[in-house]
Amino acid sequence: MTRSIEYDLMRLLHGELPAEEARALRARIFTDPELAQAYRRLESAWQGLSLPPASPVPPGFAGRVMARVRGRSAPGSLAWSAAPGWARATAAAALVAGAVLGVGVGRSWPAAASAERGSDTQTFLSATTETSLADSYWNLVEDVAAGDGSGEAQP
Amino acid sequence: MATDSVTPAAVDPGWASLARVAGGDAEAFAPLVESHQERLLHLCERLLGDAEEARDATQEVFLKAYRKAGAVRPQGQVYTWLYRIAVNHCLNKLRRRRLVRFLRWEDPEDRDAPAFEPPDGGADPAAVLEARRRWRTTRRAIARLPENQRSVLVLVRFEGLSYKQVAEVLGITEGAVESRLFRAMRRLETAQEADVSRVSLGEAKP
Repeated sequence: MTRSIEYDLMRLLHGELPAEEARALRARIFTDPELAQAYRRLESAWQGLSLPPASPVPPGFAGRVMARVRGRSAPGSLAWSAAPGWARATAAAALVAGAVLGVGVGRSWPAAASAERGSDTQTFLSATTETSLADSYWNLVEDVAAGDGSGEAQP
Repeated sequence: MATDSVTPAAVDPGWASLARVAGGDAEAFAPLVESHQERLLHLCERLLGDAEEARDATQEVFLKAYRKAGAVRPQGQVYTWLYRIAVNHCLNKLRRRRLVRFLRWEDPEDRDAPAFEPPDGGADPAAVLEARRRWRTTRRAIARLPENQRSVLVLVRFEGLSYKQVAEVLGITEGAVESRLFRAMRRLETAQEADVSRVSLGEAKP
């Protein structure tokens, strides 16, 4: 059975198939046992879905919602566009400062570590300043491993 | 807002109320709450599986709608817009719930599906038991669906929305609705077959 027929069976079950196509498919189901079985399986799974009746709306629910609405300020007041200029400027400055600090730490940390070790400093620095923090970390790990003399360099 | 002969407000007067809300008239929001509270409560309860949580969620959804009143572009029916806010809100709650359970080392299989306490109408006890079993099975099956399939399934099966309406609510194409629903149906068929074999095995025991 093709995927297209399976989709059609589902559409038929959900009443989404145009009337003409639905009629034609019903006729096919009537004569094709495989199709009939597939439809019955689908129908059974669908009809088998059952949930208890939803709870009724609690008394005074709308009133409670409206009380919360009245307790709020005007709609849209929490949007950034409605915030005062100084608040937006401070938030933007904090974001930029955070990003700069993050990049700075990420770039200087492996370089500082390598400077302490004092081996091939110039080469290492020139390489690490152009690589990401993760690359620098793994470079450092490989360097330390190679320095241990515990074996051959990793591929 | 729109100047066409058939404005969105003419289609759904709720848009006019929202325009008044955006203009500072908070009381214009009351009729919207009155007319949509039942549908939204039901939807949230279907998605979250918990009546108490659904009430909180529905209040939050209305507050979000109130805050967004000034930014919304009238299009289609107001309930479609409210449904979208509700679905997104409930999915976020489910994600948070799952994260909390993960951090607490809880089993999501058991805890993602709060037990329903159905209204007891004094019906036939065997029928009540069978109904509860089906509700539990359904709840578990829905809880196991990926979020995007879950929302489509709930909207079609329990809210009675057409594919087109679901597409509008979720902001996706009708093709995507069909595809998600198809995958959900596949999972449900498998789950139901497993359930049937489990029940028959249980009945076979002495």
